[in-house]
Amino acid sequence: MRVRYTKVSLKGPMHLIKTVCSLLFFLALPAHAGELYSDAYSHSTMQIALETDGFSAGEQHWLAITIEPKSGWHTYWRNPGDSGAAPLFTWSVPNGVTVGSPVYPVPETLPLGPLMNYGYHGNSTLLFPLSVGGDFLDNTIPVSLVAEWLVCEIECVPQVAEITLQIPQGGGVVSSETAATFLTGRSKLPEPSYWDSNFTFSNDFSELLVFADKLDLEKNAQVYFFPDHEGAVSYAAPQEWYWTEFGLKGSFVRDPGSPVPAALGGLLKVTFNDGTSTAYELTPTLTNNVREDTKTLGAAGMPVWQALLFALLGGLILNLMPCVFPVLSLKAFALISANYKTQANRRKEGWAYTFGIWSSFMIIVGVLLLLRSTGAAIGWGFQLQEPMFIGFLGLLMVLVSLSLAGVFYIRLGFEGIGQTHASREGLVGSFSKGVLATLVATPCTAPLMAPAIGFALTQPIVIVFSVFSALAFGLALPFLLLSYSDTLVKLMPRPGIWMEKVKHGLAFPMLLTAAWLVYIYTIQAGAQATLFLLVAMVLLSFGVWLWQQTTSMLGRIVAVAAVAASILLITVPLHTPQSPDRLNSPHTELVYSEEALAELLREDKSVFVYFTAEWCITCKVNEQVALFTDDVQNELVAQEILLMKGDWTNRNAEIAAVLAKYDRAGVPLYLYFPKGEKSAKVLPEILTKNIILEYLANS
Amino acid sequence: MTVRTLKTLYIFVVFVFFSMPLSANPVPGKPAPKFTSITTSGETISLAALKGETIVLEWTNHECPYVRKHYSSGNMQRTQRTLTEEGVIWVSIISSAPELQGYVSAEEANTLSASRGSYTTYTILDSDGSIGRLYGAKTTPQMFLINKSGNIDYMGAIDDRPSSRAESLVGATNYLLKAWEELRLGQGVTLKSTKPYGCSVKYAE
Repeated sequence: MRVRYTKVSLKGPMHLIKTVCSLLFFLALPAHAGELYSDAYSHSTMQIALETDGFSAGEQHWLAITIEPKSGWHTYWRNPGDSGAAPLFTWSVPNGVTVGSPVYPVPETLPLGPLMNYGYHGNSTLLFPLSVGGDFLDNTIPVSLVAEWLVCEIECVPQVAEITLQIPQGGGVVSSETAATFLTGRSKLPEPSYWDSNFTFSNDFSELLVFADKLDLEKNAQVYFFPDHEGAVSYAAPQEWYWTEFGLKGSFVRDPGSPVPAALGGLLKVTFNDGTSTAYELTPTLTNNVREDTKTLGAAGMPVWQALLFALLGGLILNLMPCVFPVLSLKAFALISANYKTQANRRKEGWAYTFGIWSSFMIIVGVLLLLRSTGAAIGWGFQLQEPMFIGFLGLLMVLVSLSLAGVFYIRLGFEGIGQTHASREGLVGSFSKGVLATLVATPCTAPLMAPAIGFALTQPIVIVFSVFSALAFGLALPFLLLSYSDTLVKLMPRPGIWMEKVKHGLAFPMLLTAAWLVYIYTIQAGAQATLFLLVAMVLLSFGVWLWQQTTSMLGRIVAVAAVAASILLITVPLHTPQSPDRLNSPHTELVYSEEALAELLREDKSVFVYFTAEWCITCKVNEQVALFTDDVQNELVAQEILLMKGDWTNRNAEIAAVLAKYDRAGVPLYLYFPKGEKSAKVLPEILTKNIILEYLANS
Repeated sequence: MTVRTLKTLYIFVVFVFFSMPLSANPVPGKPAPKFTSITTSGETISLAALKGETIVLEWTNHECPYVRKHYSSGNMQRTQRTLTEEGVIWVSIISSAPELQGYVSAEEANTLSASRGSYTTYTILDSDGSIGRLYGAKTTPQMFLINKSGNIDYMGAIDDRPSSRAESLVGATNYLLKAWEELRLGQGVTLKSTKPYGCSVKYAE
């Protein structure tokens, strides 16, 4: 039973008696202030103490309120987080006396299911400045205080105290009685910081840039930002931190519906390697990029039917991509050689294949949305930002190519191709081939797909799934047609031994794809990890081959061991994720950052920004055939246009944000800021020399 | 892989598809996330079908001290009465999971409404927390005002006094009423989103 709610009765007569008692107590002991009040409540205790033995007119003193909840229960910081409540204090003091707002100790994070709270287990001391004017002539200050603080475990119990106190006059001597309270209280306060900082609000994310030097903080120190106002961050989402050339940057998820605060402060809590931590007060300057009216369904951008159509066409075009084509050729062979099959069977297989593609797309999109809902700043192509996935794809490509080349046969449904017992294909084989086609197709973001995907990822979930279903359907369409039309089947060449040869030949484009994946893996994970991947490829191939060559126990054990070792080699996290400042671009252009771009635009420079990733084929092609040609490069130099590169090979929230701003969910993105203009001309995803030159000329 | 594994996979895919946390993120000025549910009196209520009506969603938990402040002082009932008398549909939603604070059966919920003199139009038991999560409801009380075109006009706290004491209601600004007044007069709602305060919504772990 977890319900442990206890009824609180606002203290009635008992409270009055206590108040009278404490009054009497203080009247009886006028001079030694120190502890002014102490009492136990249903779920906590509360003490009030004055630092000195009494007040002196014209001075500022400190009052401490220490609250200690029952063991396992907690109280709250000035921003309680998702739920709960900050303590409330209403002071009534005579004219000439003021009690300021409290200084809070550094809070803890208190996760609670899907929510996150900020507060304290154990006691917390809040320090209040008490100022007494020089013209305050009485010997005592009568104070009445209504304090309300919330104590929660899972359920919450508000504690309310209505207290009257008399603060006596004193000699300004620090009271020994309460010295310890103030000492420990102060030791838990945040430190002031000398760092400037900037906080940027966007619709569904926010960023904090702390202009700190790397040397200011220990390497690998953990940081966490506690904002003191609602609307800065989504408390429960993980915070991402990295170094930029300007300093430490935090990237946060923000609830798009939360209010944008007019002011914001907060604590930057740094936990050092030895487990100790220090929190620094930050008062960032604020930049509000929240767009009030981001487009609603189909309003701007494109209507839903158009997105669906683009997705369908994009899917169709994917069929021609170099990394998908071999898989599809095989499928075609299977179909030709199976042409004795009944049409009904062919149709079933066509649908199994379609369903394989659709399921894989749904899983990828599902994972994408899941990750997004936990706050990861990712977009389409996110799979390829994970070295382990690249490694896995690489292994898969090698296996498939060796299987094609006839080194061994894997039951991916290829075994029947070109052979007499072609009936082995079947529904399951068609389904797996659909899955395989999707896997290998993901890197080839076809030109028409980019806008559709970009559109989809900003839309409600039903639209997202519809668009991706259209995409899957487009990818499957050629075979679906083939399985339905006898005329089309008759147009295909007759099956024969040539198919076996072509099949062997198709191993090479697959190997080429593997080579390209190894290249990306190297960039993401480093040379050492690449060596491991290559070894894994050899081991895996050897293991599969050996398994099929031998039936002896020993041989099979060795085969299994080899396969297991290869899997281990790519799953062991050898790779060190690269921080953005280590990503060196092969060219001499500038590296994109929001600040750097803003700075250049302020200086009235014209800038051409291109967003790319090593795994993005479209990007690489554009760069080679258009952007990096001498003509374009010379023109850039001639017009004094600076080239800036945003590299999205690894995850990067900042770039994800820019892409989102221009309604893209992935790279490539080309922006041209002509001299003196703050808004960009967006170039198409497919570039030619002429397109770029035209854009450069027409400004 | 057999046809059976295919079937299993299919079920898995469908499951992933539909069981994903549909955090549609309510945003002022944007369509309110759609849901369909059964009320404590057994009617089926669908937000889509209520298009053309002004709707208030109130997250509640009768054992939460902050909710009790608004009910025992009559403040919530007054607010409900003011709005429902002008045709607003008021939906109270209880997202407490079984065995957690505030969880009630349909009868208990109806008895509770009657005993508190509530003017709520419908009460929904959302014990699996799906509607709560759909709306990102964090606290009780927490309010949403949905206008006739189905867009959210206000979301957040009921008022500007994050206190559990009834005394705090004196001089408080009722954000929901303010938003409703502005909406009724055809003005834009000035304060569209505030920080909700109160007990956490008691979701299942």
